[in-house]
Amino acid sequence: MSAEEKNIKLTRRDFVRKGIQFSILGGIGVMAGGLLPKLVGQEYVWQIDTKKCTHCGRCATSCIKTPSAVKCFHAFDMCGYCDLCGGYFRQGVKNLNTGAENQLCPTAAITRQFIEEPFFEYHIQKDLCIGCAKCVKGCEAFGNGSLQLQVDQSICDNCNECSIARDCPSNAISRVPSGKSYLMQGINWKNET
Amino acid sequence: MIKEDKKTKRPFDLWESIFLVSGVFSFVVCVLLIANYFQINRADPVNTKVLNALIERLEQDESDQALRTEIREFDLLARKAYFTNQWQIRFGGYLLLAGVLVCILAALMIDAKKTKVKEIELPVKKTYVLTQRNARKWLSAGGLMLAVTAMVFAYITHKNMEDPVSGEASTGNDRNTFVDPESNRSDDLSPDTTQFAVADTAKADTVKKLVFNPLDYPTAAMKNNFPTFRGAGAIGLSHKNNAPVSWDGASGRNIKWKTAVPLPGMNSPIVWGNFVFLTGANEVKQEVYCFNKNTGKIIWKTNVPKSTQSPKVSDDTGHAAASAATDGENVYAVFSNGDIAAIDHAGKMIWSGNLGVPDKSYGHSSSLIVYFDKLIVQYDQKKGSNLMALDTKTGKTIWSTPRKVKSSWSSPSIVNTGSRVEILVLADPGLSSYDPATGKQLWSINCTSGEVGPSIAYANGIAFAVNEYAKLAAIKVGDQPTILWENNDYLSDVPSPVATKDFLFVATSYGEVACYNTKSGEEYWVHDFEAGIYSSPMIVGKLVYLMDRKGTMHIFKAEKKFTLVGEPMLGEKSDYTPAFADGQVFIRAGNNLYCIGK
Amino acid sequence: MKKSIYILFFILSAIFAFQSFPVNAENRFPKPEFEQGHIQPETITPSPRLLLLEYLDVAVLITALSLISYFILKKRSRKLVFWTSVFSVLYFGFYREGCVCSIGAIQNVTLALFKDDYHIPLTAFLFFIIPLIYTLLFGRTFCAGICPLGALQDIVGLKPMPIEAWLEKVLGIFPFIYLGLAVLFAATGTDFVICRYDPFVGFFRLDASFTMFMIGGLFLIAGVFIARPYCRFLCPYGALLNIISRFSFKHMTITPETCINCRLCENACPYGAINMPVQLKEKEKTETVVRRYILLSIMVPIFIFTGGFLASNFSSGFAHVNPKVKLAKELKNNTNYGMGEKEALEITAFRSSGQSMDELNLEVAKIEKEFYLGSWILGGFTGLVFGLMLISLTVFKYHPDYSPNKATCHSCARCMEFCPVKPGVL
Repeated sequence: MSAEEKNIKLTRRDFVRKGIQFSILGGIGVMAGGLLPKLVGQEYVWQIDTKKCTHCGRCATSCIKTPSAVKCFHAFDMCGYCDLCGGYFRQGVKNLNTGAENQLCPTAAITRQFIEEPFFEYHIQKDLCIGCAKCVKGCEAFGNGSLQLQVDQSICDNCNECSIARDCPSNAISRVPSGKSYLMQGINWKNET
Repeated sequence: MIKEDKKTKRPFDLWESIFLVSGVFSFVVCVLLIANYFQINRADPVNTKVLNALIERLEQDESDQALRTEIREFDLLARKAYFTNQWQIRFGGYLLLAGVLVCILAALMIDAKKTKVKEIELPVKKTYVLTQRNARKWLSAGGLMLAVTAMVFAYITHKNMEDPVSGEASTGNDRNTFVDPESNRSDDLSPDTTQFAVADTAKADTVKKLVFNPLDYPTAAMKNNFPTFRGAGAIGLSHKNNAPVSWDGASGRNIKWKTAVPLPGMNSPIVWGNFVFLTGANEVKQEVYCFNKNTGKIIWKTNVPKSTQSPKVSDDTGHAAASAATDGENVYAVFSNGDIAAIDHAGKMIWSGNLGVPDKSYGHSSSLIVYFDKLIVQYDQKKGSNLMALDTKTGKTIWSTPRKVKSSWSSPSIVNTGSRVEILVLADPGLSSYDPATGKQLWSINCTSGEVGPSIAYANGIAFAVNEYAKLAAIKVGDQPTILWENNDYLSDVPSPVATKDFLFVATSYGEVACYNTKSGEEYWVHDFEAGIYSSPMIVGKLVYLMDRKGTMHIFKAEKKFTLVGEPMLGEKSDYTPAFADGQVFIRAGNNLYCIGK
Repeated sequence: MKKSIYILFFILSAIFAFQSFPVNAENRFPKPEFEQGHIQPETITPSPRLLLLEYLDVAVLITALSLISYFILKKRSRKLVFWTSVFSVLYFGFYREGCVCSIGAIQNVTLALFKDDYHIPLTAFLFFIIPLIYTLLFGRTFCAGICPLGALQDIVGLKPMPIEAWLEKVLGIFPFIYLGLAVLFAATGTDFVICRYDPFVGFFRLDASFTMFMIGGLFLIAGVFIARPYCRFLCPYGALLNIISRFSFKHMTITPETCINCRLCENACPYGAINMPVQLKEKEKTETVVRRYILLSIMVPIFIFTGGFLASNFSSGFAHVNPKVKLAKELKNNTNYGMGEKEALEITAFRSSGQSMDELNLEVAKIEKEFYLGSWILGGFTGLVFGLMLISLTVFKYHPDYSPNKATCHSCARCMEFCPVKPGVL
């Protein structure tokens, strides 16, 4: 093999190389172009659509976080401030006091505060709430539905695919734009979060 | 030289000991973490069985202060344990991380001390071509192995895989087909009056193997729905226990929808999947209606052509007194002149026929019920009463058993005694049991008389039969049936009784309701609702739902003491038994069908 | 007592209900008006992470990639690469908790390409594409120490043992199969398997299921002795980079000048990614090679078809991963998710959704069709990779010196430390 021949062979190989290199670049470019209309400059976060939520209780167990990033949120705007709160008391409770035997919440994450006759205000202790939805179910069944499950965005890791969404029987969890990251009902938002 | 010796003799240098210590530390933390993990799983606060059991005990005896304190202490302890465990896991995680980091750092330091340049093995390793050949060989072998494994796996799993779900696009989700071994019985049993027109879709001779467990009755699908008058098995038991307890017809509160039913009919709604079915008829027309469960819109109405003139009926029976039944595929309806039809859930008539115009006063009112592939029809009349099973696919008679009874207006129930499934039918002179597979009479006992309207109640091996001017009897079912106790204080001529394991509730048409101990017959309480009752009570969880003729639902606890839970008013007269679905109640009242709930 | 409470409750609720109708038809109990001036608190909804910070991640990625490429190609410093790895583990790993990541972004891109209703965030797209471009320019510098998964394994890889070359080749097919599967599941909108079975993300979050921790732990322990087991034998993004890196414009070299064939670097690479020098005399007879080459080229379509056929047998198995398909199957067979008496939540939810069985079946039929087609493509792709691998093993690649195998080299820069040649010395 003469040196010249070798040279030609090398340049031919180089040519093919260059061709492939630029076709890879082109490929990436084409893909980027193809995705251009679908690219969005905002992040997406996971959130529960309270309309679809069936309060099945899986949010407590399916989240990769322990305790779950799903918490109970209280829409005060909707709350009836009931004395006999379906979200606070077990069903069929006779004594409306704060005894453990009366409370629905397994971790006592709801506090009950007397306001004035006959109204009581209920607050959720975020750090105790495990997202089991018991209170949500109770409030939905007997009250206004002001207790709602939502993903707490300050806790959520925003996984690429939410493991609760995968387990949710009613497809209530979906990606929402991070600019509008809560899907609660009955709140008169003063300023959008 | 001596120095060197010393160095080699010393067992560990600093980094090595750090490596060892941190390694052991990490291992111990890891083991502790795993142990803690299992503990935390046991102490799941959502499902604390002990606590729930304690609370249940408290509900029995409210005054037990000691138990109350015990519950509070236990609850506090359990929560403390749970959150401490969680804190431990988190803290342990950080500890482990730190331990592993130190361990890795030490290992890196040890590594850095060692001489980097390794010894070079001589001679030169395999040549290029040899390596390539070897790699080719193994790659081919690996690929072949992968392919063979895939093939074997595909073969093994092929049985489950060959049947993609979408293969049969159909509304049915309970597609049990069953022909019992004795089904080659000739058709000579079927009465001559029965003539059937079978639509083309139904293939009469598709014989499939037994694919259901006869003891699996009622099936999960049946329990999930409300396939028959008085629920699955027609014993007045709802398998859904989350029905709403309050609504108001006047303001529309908690009423999801209300739809007018075109034709009158004394039958009650049934529910399957997304559909609610009713029938309606007058002297000239007979129709079956399908309502959208969520919106109340009539999805379809199918006319069942009149094959013969309708007999004279009384006003409070009408031409469509028998409730329809469904098996998830078809809905079956029967009318006053003996016309019977199967209509699929899309509204298409599958088959129809006539059972012969019944010869009895008032009109026919026994509701239908389905046992897997058989549609059970109780056809009691003045002469030639019988109980029939029709093939749900074709309408052909599978068996027909003559009954020596007088006319009756009650409906058959199907009960699972644990060892077998029996059809229980009540008529003067008594209660009879039939084998649903063959139609053979299993046993019979005399316990009633007169014109029997109410159907039976059944719970825990005891059937309850009641009729006005006769008596109330509790019958232990079985090959040797015995009457456990009798009573004739409160008797019903229209509403059927219902029973839980412990309590029997007898509603009377004049408005009094009595509660008895199922085993002893001891009367626990009597309550007068001061309104007539034609609708049958239903057991829904721990509650009893009872509609009075004025349209007020009386909801009370199925308990030893009478406790009213609610008396929501609909404001329209209702003589129909409500149907229960998940969180919803369907009530026919006046000329309307109501959906209560969300 | 209790009776009176209930009656009171119902009377109250009835009164409330009547009052509430004109005001707010939804609420059973109206919002009270406090006489003593109690002010109702507002619902606090903590905001998600700032968008700006997401773009900061992209900036960090670009900076880190540029730096590490500079460290490898120009500085030739293993130490700097190591410290970049530590930074990546800390930032992309522990701080960002493993999300967003380039490996997982494959699925976002796939989903965006195949499903109309999914819009891909710019950051995810950039995380997917930037390492690809850097790899095309400089080789797998991303793998060297930017990818937190790779960096973590690189740090724990203390006692690497050499693996037989043939085994390396055989195992090297798995990343492609995994890539194919991940794309199949993502394209059908079924699942993000890469994220679901990411063995290391649990460590970064200090939170995962027990099984995933176990698998992750095993990978790490195995990683002490087998360098980067996940990167080499599973990572689907690595499979992409493997191909692109072969054609990179620039790539690190073992020696800064001319190789003196001192053989000091021969055992330096923990990944077995160093091409030993080949003598021309080793070359087989041209006819043998050409014949084998032609034979294999003819075989490739057969491989593709066989692969496609085999994989298509599993299409309904794959489809069963899809929750919708599973739901339809459970409904059809009436198996109730093996729950027995109590109705499975999925079935309850389906019943209350108002969707009819027909609609579900239609949807499922569509998904199953996608899976059938997809598994043919997956199988065909695997067959193609297999065939191409065999072909590449017949081609005689002449290289007289010790050089990195551009496809499998992770650019970790370990070998450079072994090279006695210093720049400008010779």
